[in-house]
Amino acid sequence: MVSVLYAVAGYFFLLLTVRVLKRRAGSGISMLDFVLIFLIGGVIILGTMAQDRSMTNATCIVITIGFLHRTVAWAKSKSPKVGALVDGVPLVLLDRGKARREVMDHMRITDLDLEIAARAARVPSTDQVDYAVLERNGSISIFPRQ
Amino acid sequence: MSASPITKRVQDDVPRYNDEVAVGEDLEFQRRWWKFENAVWILFGIIIVCDVLGVFGRGWLARAKATTRDHAVVLSYERMERAFTPAILDLEIGQNAIRNGQVTVYVSGSVVKELGAARISPQPMTSTIGSSGYTYVFPVTSSPGTIQIALSPPSAGLRHFRVQVAGSEPIDASVLVFP
Repeated sequence: MVSVLYAVAGYFFLLLTVRVLKRRAGSGISMLDFVLIFLIGGVIILGTMAQDRSMTNATCIVITIGFLHRTVAWAKSKSPKVGALVDGVPLVLLDRGKARREVMDHMRITDLDLEIAARAARVPSTDQVDYAVLERNGSISIFPRQ
Repeated sequence: MSASPITKRVQDDVPRYNDEVAVGEDLEFQRRWWKFENAVWILFGIIIVCDVLGVFGRGWLARAKATTRDHAVVLSYERMERAFTPAILDLEIGQNAIRNGQVTVYVSGSVVKELGAARISPQPMTSTIGSSGYTYVFPVTSSPGTIQIALSPPSAGLRHFRVQVAGSEPIDASVLVFP
């Protein structure tokens, strides 16, 4: 019973921690992200399992986390507000070719990140980009100048 | 006969930015989120500082001492402990507590049940189970001597306990156990 409560607390605490970490430009998983995933995952599992390392406890915790994840996904699909809270909102980084510094600074996006995103979209330079949008998953969508 | 499929024209359901790109940006929400993020990181910072200082146990602020007026016994313990985490309760026995080469120590039942006393060192000569606690008798050759009780609290909550050496006043103390 206690393990289930620990699993619920662990899930929402992890969700909050991951959410308040900035979206990383590029969205791919780097070596640095692996350190975060393994270390946080390993630490939280110790607290969640407590002293009970039985298969019964592990099964109950896995089911609890699965149920929570499904519930949050369902709430996201029903309410855009929940989606914005859990995943954030898309943000315009380049507006008609001009950088929006407030958004870029808060999201820790550099000009170099924009240049990389432009090249990935087969656009040679950011001068030729009309709009750049930071998506909820951390990727940057590029809209070339027409 | 199969029913005809229901079709619906696909259209943007998010507001357009500059009437050009359907982004669905909500900058006001994002500004509020940035403030919330800052508050969370300040809170996380405070939690780390508190942990280093021992507010959640196992640190400087957690350590506590209590003694009787006649200095028969000095109790050292942690005000804050953590569930399933080992902790030590020290009893330093003074000269006033020794009678006929023995010291008799009473501990309340909560030390065993709620604070999870797992081991007592040195081993007592006798252990007696009472209605509200346990009485241990130890042989003593010289003072000061130390009796250690290893704890591992099985659950979270505020726990009260009592320790008393025969012939001296009792020491009442409380321990907050974090989950």
